Amino acid sequence: MEEVTTAVHNEKAEQERMQLVSFNLENEEYGVEVLKVREIIRMPNITRVPNTPHYVEGVINLRGKVIPIISLRKRFNLDTAEADSRTRIMVMDMSNNLTGFVVDSVAEVIRISSDEIQPAPPVISGNIDQECLSGVINRADRLLVLLDLEKMFSPEEQEQFGRSATLQ
Amino acid sequence: MTLMCEDQELLEGFLTESTELLEKIDDDLVVLEQTPDDMELLNRIFRSIHTVKGAASFLEFELLVKVSHKTEDVLNKLRRGDMSVTPEIMDVILEAIDLVKVLINDIKGNEIVERPIEGTIERLVALLENNEGSAAAATAPAEAPAAIESGDNATTMDTPRSDDLPPDEPEHVSAAEQVPIPEQVVPQVASAPARPAAAAPANVSQQSPPKGEELTDKSTVRVEVKRIDDLMNQVGELVLERNRMIQLSSDFQNEMNMDVFGEELGKLSKRINFVTSELQTQVLKMRLFPVGSVFKKFPRIVRNLARDLGKKVNLQVSGEDTELDRSVVDEIGDPLIHLLRNAMDHGLETPEERKAAGKTPIGTIVLTAHHEGNHIIISIKDDGRGIDADRVAAKALEKGLISSEQLAILSQRDIFDLIFLPGFSTKEKASDLSGRGVGMDVVKTNIRKLNGIIDIKSEKNKGSEFILKLPLTLAIIQSLLVEVGVETYSIPLTAVLETLRIKSEEFHSIGGRKVLKLRDSVLPLLDLSDTFDVQEAGEPGEFRYVVVVGAAEKRLGLVVSRLMGQQEVAIKSLGTYLNDVEGIAGSTILGDGRVALIVDPAKLIDTSS
Repeated sequence: MEEVTTAVHNEKAEQERMQLVSFNLENEEYGVEVLKVREIIRMPNITRVPNTPHYVEGVINLRGKVIPIISLRKRFNLDTAEADSRTRIMVMDMSNNLTGFVVDSVAEVIRISSDEIQPAPPVISGNIDQECLSGVINRADRLLVLLDLEKMFSPEEQEQFGRSATLQ
Repeated sequence: MTLMCEDQELLEGFLTESTELLEKIDDDLVVLEQTPDDMELLNRIFRSIHTVKGAASFLEFELLVKVSHKTEDVLNKLRRGDMSVTPEIMDVILEAIDLVKVLINDIKGNEIVERPIEGTIERLVALLENNEGSAAAATAPAEAPAAIESGDNATTMDTPRSDDLPPDEPEHVSAAEQVPIPEQVVPQVASAPARPAAAAPANVSQQSPPKGEELTDKSTVRVEVKRIDDLMNQVGELVLERNRMIQLSSDFQNEMNMDVFGEELGKLSKRINFVTSELQTQVLKMRLFPVGSVFKKFPRIVRNLARDLGKKVNLQVSGEDTELDRSVVDEIGDPLIHLLRNAMDHGLETPEERKAAGKTPIGTIVLTAHHEGNHIIISIKDDGRGIDADRVAAKALEKGLISSEQLAILSQRDIFDLIFLPGFSTKEKASDLSGRGVGMDVVKTNIRKLNGIIDIKSEKNKGSEFILKLPLTLAIIQSLLVEVGVETYSIPLTAVLETLRIKSEEFHSIGGRKVLKLRDSVLPLLDLSDTFDVQEAGEPGEFRYVVVVGAAEKRLGLVVSRLMGQQEVAIKSLGTYLNDVEGIAGSTILGDGRVALIVDPAKLIDTSS
């Protein structure tokens, strides 16, 4: 009996509507959960921070708060591209730490129901860390890769975020 | 036992009040030991504990009532002159106060546990019983060690009280000063129930103080109403200036005369500058805290240490009113305790040694604090044996902390610095107090974390002085902005000793390292553009600039392309993801909105040596 009820419950949960922010990286379309995105800004002056991993672009001043900026292109080992007028920084809430991600462009907010999400095929885009792929959305006209950027960081890095969250 | 009180507000009021009272009691008790005739002081202590007891019984905290009630009884006896203050009685009272603190902490933590209070109660009761009437006579010889151990204190406290005591008392007081009974002989009272009292104080002195410290409440601040009023005034002015700015902006859009506009804008920015810096000072002042809040627990610690070590110490404290930022206050407690312990244990000699050296038997430790510009200077000075440079050098060599070649080039001042090395200790045997070779290392690390500098002055047989130079606040610092290639960095001015303009060819190289001959010493150099891997901005000019930084006791020259000037900057954290960047302490936002990184000179010095 109990199994049945949980199954029903799951089905309901799966059909929940979700909103995603879609963005582009090297002609591919990606999506992240809208609730994680704090704001989307144009490229400001970035201050480089020495002795950091190559994908850390540096830090910026976001209205008096200093936040780190990570290049998704560099993180995913794609070819680097010059920033242009469409380049954006998505400021995301990573366990209470604001972090900015540089993307080629931000497209739109799309609504999906959660049962549209399919598990990611094993080799989708050879360069993207498998851990942060949380699925793909296959619609007639487009293929969207769903990312969970919090999983992008190694367990140690995640732990670092978590620790600071409890400290604050 | 569960928490019976439903009225949370009442409970909180009680906790705040008792915390404050108890904090004061500690200090008062130690003072009382030195001036036992101060009836006003005694009365105040009595009233405080009475207040705690009263409130506790109203709120039905039984354990607390029991302990505070007995303590009150003992204090009452002292007050009526039935008993007089001795170090032993003091030990028991202090133990009881510590227990009260522990109990209050339990209440505060909302987990009331059954604590063993019988031991303390028993000792308190013993005091009450044994000092009744002529039974006190029996205690006569036993009271002696007290007077001997605590030396001067005991003498001064014993003499004046002799008048108002029963006739048989004065005799054994004078006897007390002569009979050299070793410490181990049961002090205090001869009767059985009191025996635990003799054994207990030693444990108490080691275990209880840390518990007592926790009592201090750091989550709330008391601010003078006047300061808030001042702040309100400043904010009022700021609002005025804002209105003025809105007005000016709309005038500008209505095509105002450019000359007038320029003039008005100039005036406005001057006024806003003035108001905001005033505001900054005001808010900073609210965060300020007298250093006395740290100092006040020291008399107690020194007293206990003195008794444990069998030394006689006179602690002189001055400058308790000197204010500094809360963040700094929180951090300097431990280093200061370490330094005090160090002075007591290593610095001061025993009374016999002191006599042999032709000094007064009572050692002096002077603890002072004062402001010097944007810094606070805290000094701990003792008149003990001083640091024996030869012995320090020998020990460092023996422990393999330094090689004999390295040792040969060290000055005496450098040798003093060896005591800060991790693992250094001159003690043959580690004691509870010191000798594990961790203390001074911790002191140095903590002080450096605060961007502070520690300096040692010492003269053999005359004593030593440890001088701490700390910034007033950690939130806003004075910094030197420098250009390195195409980037701007900020160097905390506290660490900057001097700046130099040097021709590139004046740099020398020793064993692959760039150095500079600076007056008669050799200064190691670090090119920031290499360390931070900065892109060069065109051809390097004829001149380079060297910023000489010092942290704790070492010096290093940082090579930069240009000096941009001094600026007061607010420190912003780089966030947790980037908080461990080598050589970077944080960041700040410049006038144009760009982020500049703040260099961590201490770390650079550490990694480069």
